[in-house]
Amino acid sequence: MDILVQLIINGILLGSMYAIISVGLTLIFGIVRVVNFAHGELLMVGMYATYLLGAHLGLHPYVAAVPVTVLLFAIGALIQRFVIQPLLGAEEHIQIFATVGLSIALINLALLVFGADLYSLQVPSVHHSLRFGGYSLLVGQAVMLLCAIALVGGLHLFMQTTPLGRAVRATAQNRNAALLMGVPVERIYVFAFGLGAACVGLASALIMPLIPVTPSIGSYFVLTAFVVVVLGGMRSLYGAFLGAMIIGVVDSLSGYYIAPDLKEVVYFAIFIAILIFKPTGLFGLGRGTE
Amino acid sequence: MTGITRRGALASGIALAATPFGISRSFAQSGPIKVGALYPFSGGLALLGDESFRGLEIAIEERNAAGGVKGRQLQIVRGDAVDPNQAVGEARRLTSVERVTCVFGTYSSSLCLAASQVTELAQIPYFEMGAISDPITERGFKYIFRTNPTAASFARAMVDAVRDAVAPAFNTDPKSLKVAIIHEDSLYGQTVAGYQKKRVQEIGLNLVETLPYSAKSVDLTPVVLRLKSAGADVVLQTSYQNDTVLFFRQMREQAYKPKAVIGAGGGYSLRDTMQAIGAENMEGALDVDFTQYQTNPEAAPGMPDFLKKYQAKYGMAPRSGHSLANYMGGHVFLDAMEAAKDLSAGALRTAVLAVDKPMGSTATGWGAKFNEAGQNERADPFLMQWQGGELVTVFPKKAAVKELKPVLGT
Repeated sequence: MDILVQLIINGILLGSMYAIISVGLTLIFGIVRVVNFAHGELLMVGMYATYLLGAHLGLHPYVAAVPVTVLLFAIGALIQRFVIQPLLGAEEHIQIFATVGLSIALINLALLVFGADLYSLQVPSVHHSLRFGGYSLLVGQAVMLLCAIALVGGLHLFMQTTPLGRAVRATAQNRNAALLMGVPVERIYVFAFGLGAACVGLASALIMPLIPVTPSIGSYFVLTAFVVVVLGGMRSLYGAFLGAMIIGVVDSLSGYYIAPDLKEVVYFAIFIAILIFKPTGLFGLGRGTE
Repeated sequence: MTGITRRGALASGIALAATPFGISRSFAQSGPIKVGALYPFSGGLALLGDESFRGLEIAIEERNAAGGVKGRQLQIVRGDAVDPNQAVGEARRLTSVERVTCVFGTYSSSLCLAASQVTELAQIPYFEMGAISDPITERGFKYIFRTNPTAASFARAMVDAVRDAVAPAFNTDPKSLKVAIIHEDSLYGQTVAGYQKKRVQEIGLNLVETLPYSAKSVDLTPVVLRLKSAGADVVLQTSYQNDTVLFFRQMREQAYKPKAVIGAGGGYSLRDTMQAIGAENMEGALDVDFTQYQTNPEAAPGMPDFLKKYQAKYGMAPRSGHSLANYMGGHVFLDAMEAAKDLSAGALRTAVLAVDKPMGSTATGWGAKFNEAGQNERADPFLMQWQGGELVTVFPKKAAVKELKPVLGT
């Protein structure tokens, strides 16, 4: 029983890590309608940035989160403006190739600059264990969960209450209609891609003290993030959040009760089942909206 | 435009085909001996590929300074094997364009497996000094030879360490220790763990868990909790770098403290891993690997000398033991080339099979005696331990510089 509770706690904490990354992916997919295969590599870039700020300027990762998030917003916006925008009229698979190419380029750039070695930040305060009634969690994981909740809540408020948020939603719902209503669609796309990348920036600063960074670190997360996004219904922020929690708990439980090497099998089985029985995802809006 | 490049390619093709083989061969008789050096010099494996190459480079320079092989200087022709595909391409270039006498390599098993198929067909000897996968010398090839220990020797050394080193240090009966095997689930981890399971049964230890996991996992808590509930005393881990760091961090988070953890080289031997985990948490972690530098020089003659040369040439201390293993292998094979009747593949094979160096006579502390398959049967990895941020050899006694400390973490 003790172990079950501890596993569920771990699963939720792991889920919050996936949640922040997946929310960014959902934003980009839901609004710009681009499947961003370079998402994991944006995470890698953010982690190296956090590392550099921490190792050379002595910034705590949670302080570094602010400049890193801004940096990633800028990188995301530039990618949309100079890589995706010229291809907007092209077929979908061309855009996918563009992001795949970007991902390969970024990995090799990191290999060139940092080499294949891993870099890590030692931040003892983040590794402090909080214990209550025999269960434990790390400060860093608790912060991650709080940030995930705050991020989803904040984005919800932003989308529902601000004029810019309304314009973003309009663009997501119907690009042409939004254009007719005077929404600067292309600028909204640049903004939305930047916002999605900024989420990854936040995630990277929070993950950096927990997991060391290597050029291939993105691939550790990105497949799971895709599963989460599909599970959550492609465009739904809450869907992505809950999907991440489900995957986190499944990951944790199946790793213990089945076998650590089979946990991917379990959640990819869930992924396939969702695609077959409810292709719009758990929180999708029905056929045709995905 | 395409016409021009096509014509250019055609012209160079003709030039290549027109190279008179007779002339180039007779020319080679008097000129330097070309030897191939096939390593990953770029890409993800480049760091340790380059580190491996440095050992060979120093061995060849020493040989050249001492008059070369058969009175002729050796000339290194580099081949950059980034992945198995490119390894094949570079092996073709070395054998058919550069026409090297032999190929040295490779650090990575998958690269060696691919490239040696080319050299075997071309009947050019392949000298492997770093890749540990057993099948490399189990394919019935005639012209592949390997100086370094294989995955099976790693597995055996790890399991035997429980009986011969860990149990005595804790003053307990080895059979009373609960042993667990955890490993990353690619070919590397699967292979080592397979041999470990066999060896554990052979010597009758108590195996309580075998847990494979993906090296790309971002959470190893389930593994740690399984080990904790099984009450494992000794954990044998075959891992890369990232998963080693994660495992040590999460062991501490879940307050799991086994008596001993033994790693299979890889992530365990690297200073970066220790720094990422923290010296105080890595304290006492055991590791089976190629000979490292904190080894008793009496058991590894020539090592201090190698260290000095390395420092002088590259202006830094070696980054891992890979250079030393390649230095040792380089010398063994260069000696065999000198002893051979001539430099044909057949004569080289005879000469390599005739090598007979006793244990403890080389810079790695290994001996050299090759079986018919080309595998050195006198190469055993040593047991090392992280103590105060240094990886020191603790077993066997003869090579040890420190006693095995019965602790894990501080």
